[in-house]
Amino acid sequence: MTTQQFLISAWTWNATVLIAAAAALIAYLWAFGVNRRILYLLGGVGVFVLSLMSPLNALAAGYLFSAHMLQHILLLLIVPALVWMSLPRWISLGSRSWLIANPFVGWISGVGAMWLWHARPLCNAAVSSQLVNALQISSLLLLGTIFWRQILAPREQERMSPPGAVLYLFSACVACSILGILITFSPVSVCPIYAQPPADRLGVLNLVQSHWGITPDKDQQIGGLLMWVPMCLVYLSAIVAQLARWFAHPVASPPVTGKPL
Amino acid sequence: MNGNTTISGTVAHLLTPAERQHWKLAWLSTVDHKRIGILYMVTGLVFFVIAGIEALLIRLQLMVPNNTLLAPDTYNWMFTMHGTTMIFLVAMPVLFGIMNYILPLQIGARDMAFPRLNALGVWLVPFGGILLHFSFLAGGPPAVGWFAYTPLSEAPYSSQLGVDYWAISLLVLGIGSVSAGINFIVTVLTQRAPGMTLRRLPLFSWMTFMNAFLIILVLPILNAALVMLLIDRLLDGRFFLPFGGGSAIMWQHIFWAFGHPEVYIVAIPAFAILSEVIPVFSRKAIFGHEFVAASTVIIVFLSLLVWAHHMFTVGLGRAVDLFFVAASVLIAVPTGVKLFNWSATMVGGRVRFTTPMLFCVAALLQFLIGGLTGVSHAVAPLDWQTKNSYYLVAHFHNIFVGLIVFAILGGIYYWFPKMSGRMMSERIGKWVFWLMTIGFNLTFMIQHVLGLAGMPRRTFTYPDLPGWTWMNMVSTIGAFFMAAGSILFVWDLVISLFRGKPAGDNPWNAWTLEWATTSPPPHENFNALPPIHSRRPLWDYANPDRPDPVVPVGGAIDTFRPDKIKAGVITFIISEAGFFGVLILAYLFYNATSQSGPGAQQLDVLKTTIFSICLFASSFTIWRSEVGLHANNLGKMKAWLIATIVLGGIFIVGQGLEYWSLFQSGVTVGLDLFATTFFTLTGFHGLHVSFGLLALLVVLGVALVSNFKNGRFPALGAVGYYWHFVDVVWVLVFSIVYLWPLIR
Repeated sequence: MTTQQFLISAWTWNATVLIAAAAALIAYLWAFGVNRRILYLLGGVGVFVLSLMSPLNALAAGYLFSAHMLQHILLLLIVPALVWMSLPRWISLGSRSWLIANPFVGWISGVGAMWLWHARPLCNAAVSSQLVNALQISSLLLLGTIFWRQILAPREQERMSPPGAVLYLFSACVACSILGILITFSPVSVCPIYAQPPADRLGVLNLVQSHWGITPDKDQQIGGLLMWVPMCLVYLSAIVAQLARWFAHPVASPPVTGKPL
Repeated sequence: MNGNTTISGTVAHLLTPAERQHWKLAWLSTVDHKRIGILYMVTGLVFFVIAGIEALLIRLQLMVPNNTLLAPDTYNWMFTMHGTTMIFLVAMPVLFGIMNYILPLQIGARDMAFPRLNALGVWLVPFGGILLHFSFLAGGPPAVGWFAYTPLSEAPYSSQLGVDYWAISLLVLGIGSVSAGINFIVTVLTQRAPGMTLRRLPLFSWMTFMNAFLIILVLPILNAALVMLLIDRLLDGRFFLPFGGGSAIMWQHIFWAFGHPEVYIVAIPAFAILSEVIPVFSRKAIFGHEFVAASTVIIVFLSLLVWAHHMFTVGLGRAVDLFFVAASVLIAVPTGVKLFNWSATMVGGRVRFTTPMLFCVAALLQFLIGGLTGVSHAVAPLDWQTKNSYYLVAHFHNIFVGLIVFAILGGIYYWFPKMSGRMMSERIGKWVFWLMTIGFNLTFMIQHVLGLAGMPRRTFTYPDLPGWTWMNMVSTIGAFFMAAGSILFVWDLVISLFRGKPAGDNPWNAWTLEWATTSPPPHENFNALPPIHSRRPLWDYANPDRPDPVVPVGGAIDTFRPDKIKAGVITFIISEAGFFGVLILAYLFYNATSQSGPGAQQLDVLKTTIFSICLFASSFTIWRSEVGLHANNLGKMKAWLIATIVLGGIFIVGQGLEYWSLFQSGVTVGLDLFATTFFTLTGFHGLHVSFGLLALLVVLGVALVSNFKNGRFPALGAVGYYWHFVDVVWVLVFSIVYLWPLIR
């Protein structure tokens, strides 16, 4: 099989994903109508569908740990962020719940989702069991949503202050980097199921290992590096946005007067 | 202001009449940030002379091919001591000194947040420096380069004491730097004048603030690496020795995780000086203040992420290289933003090329060159060709001398009038400038070519290859130009101190608050402050009809002013977390595969669980003690405090018993990798518990002899935070060391 054949043939049909995507779109249209922000939602839904139905998913399902990691990052960081950004600015979600409004809960959700699902038994189970896999995907989306609420809540007063947000994102990057570093340099396999694919269902093992040159230990390295570097760059982009927010806007301040403080 | 040009007039500036009675103590026992700043700088200057002489010896040796002026070993000493001294004993102290002097003035504070801690920091510099140089008398200094790669720096290959002195002295200096970093952060957070919100911080203060975070995050990484190296060398540990199962590459990772951000720790203050001097002498506010400020944050962030680009030649694999090429190239974006902003500030301004401005413009240009060669090193294939050649030497000297030293010189010419009350000589200053810039470019520009021609770094001599001899000769001549410039600079310092023109409060018509007080400032810094609405309060004050736009105050964060002691302890805890983070990662890495021989299964998990419960319970008791204090129930407070000490004591005794039984069964630090990592991790935790116990005993002692009628006793809260932190670390250590082997 060539790379081209693989990219054409390895799409998975997944009714649940499509229904969920359609439901999200319909719900959005029903609640808020058509506005400019729906583009974010389209982006989010698009990434969601692609990461679960494209050849990426085929690779993540038993072949490549790194593909799984990319999927993981997309579902945890990109999709929820885009969904938050699609919401109209007046909407308020869960501001009354202490649990959701607490930055520590948000931080633990975002970082915990990375650490928890890379514990060896869970990581293996998410590949071998359909049910655990579904659980993993929904938990990533949910935890990512809780994580981003502190940064991307539509209402200004429900977000963290920009310097606080910078610390929040920075420490999240450090926590994920540590795991990324461990995975990259670990002499043992983090997710052994990827080291010995149980069955070469799609017949692409040869393509991946010989043609692309991604051997299991290189695969794990790339996975760790994805978590270490690009993931931190996602946080960095958010930090840049927070700095712009801080320096650009008089945050929820009364009209400025010249009198001394 | 002092119009008196006699020597006694200057002495009056150095010492008040009352202090002249005990003049030795006045500077030795000072806790005034201004004097401490000057002590930092003077210490740095002394070491600059020493490391400069070492540099000249290196250049003399390389002046002609096959030279025998220095023996190979001596040459290795020279470049090791030159590098180590210039970074840790020159660049850092001098920059810390400038920040120490200027930061409190610029934010309208009376002093640093912790003046005594500040004094500790400055005195650790000569202490560390003397320790390092004592190695000359104790069998020879280190000869392993400033990054002391293992296994060369391990006992079997460097059996002299040089590396031990090197490591201990850097440990001392690292602790001093962390204390300074904590002080800068807490000073900015808690000592700002009314109206000086975080968003109104001038760029110098903002960058100092950001830099301080970098300091407390990465110096502990170096400290961890150093203790691991010392354990290897002195206790037969096995961290970095390949034949003991250790990993020599590990040292490189840990060192560069510190080493790369370290470049920014000395570069960001240089950026900060440029951001002050260039606008003042362009008579324009800096172009895009927000961009310069934000790009600093991004530089801090990215600098932590890219250390592996120092290791392209190690053979980490193509995947690793690729990611770090991409991330490293990204750093060019925020630094490029800065260069554009400084240049744009000059465009259309009324630029006055005074000595400070000349140095800063030169720094900008040299940094452009050094930055571009830096980006070229981020490209792995080019790096493979040029690594450890003189191309690399030329690159980093463009940063360390071209950017940093020139910015320091600019900064000193700029702020000397404030510090001494006298101007430095413009005439001599121009001479210094031309000697330094011509000398620098003669010395180092040609080394790019030498490097590309294949001349390796750190080699004591070279054969007479075509072109090499004259190029090295040019380089050496350039070095002596710089030496002449340096001597002239010191002469200018001395003569200006006694004979310089009186400066007045604000000789440069600058706009930040340090110029709003006398030169030199009185002990308490300010008698009165102008109102602060923007980043240039003196401009607003002098031009009431066209002030800068008011920087708005929005939200609580702009006026955020935490409790000083709590802020200090939390910053300290962040730095400690970095230290333990490295030790824990090292433990995980070395124990990822089960060790053969006596290992985790020898540990008595049950006993340790009992001692651990005591420690965890002590977190609860100290919390009850604080509750007692807030309820004004002092008896309760003391009782719970004693309970905490007892529980902590039980834990320490338990750990001692565990160690004893391990020693009895022959498990010592040097036995195998498990033992080395186990004793290092738990031992440093135990050390922290012991320090915590000492602090608790002190607090108890204070509590017993005083009565706190108002329920305020901030030390208890501070020790409480620290104690909780030590417990949290033990939760991690206990899970990893004791529980993890049970489930895997």
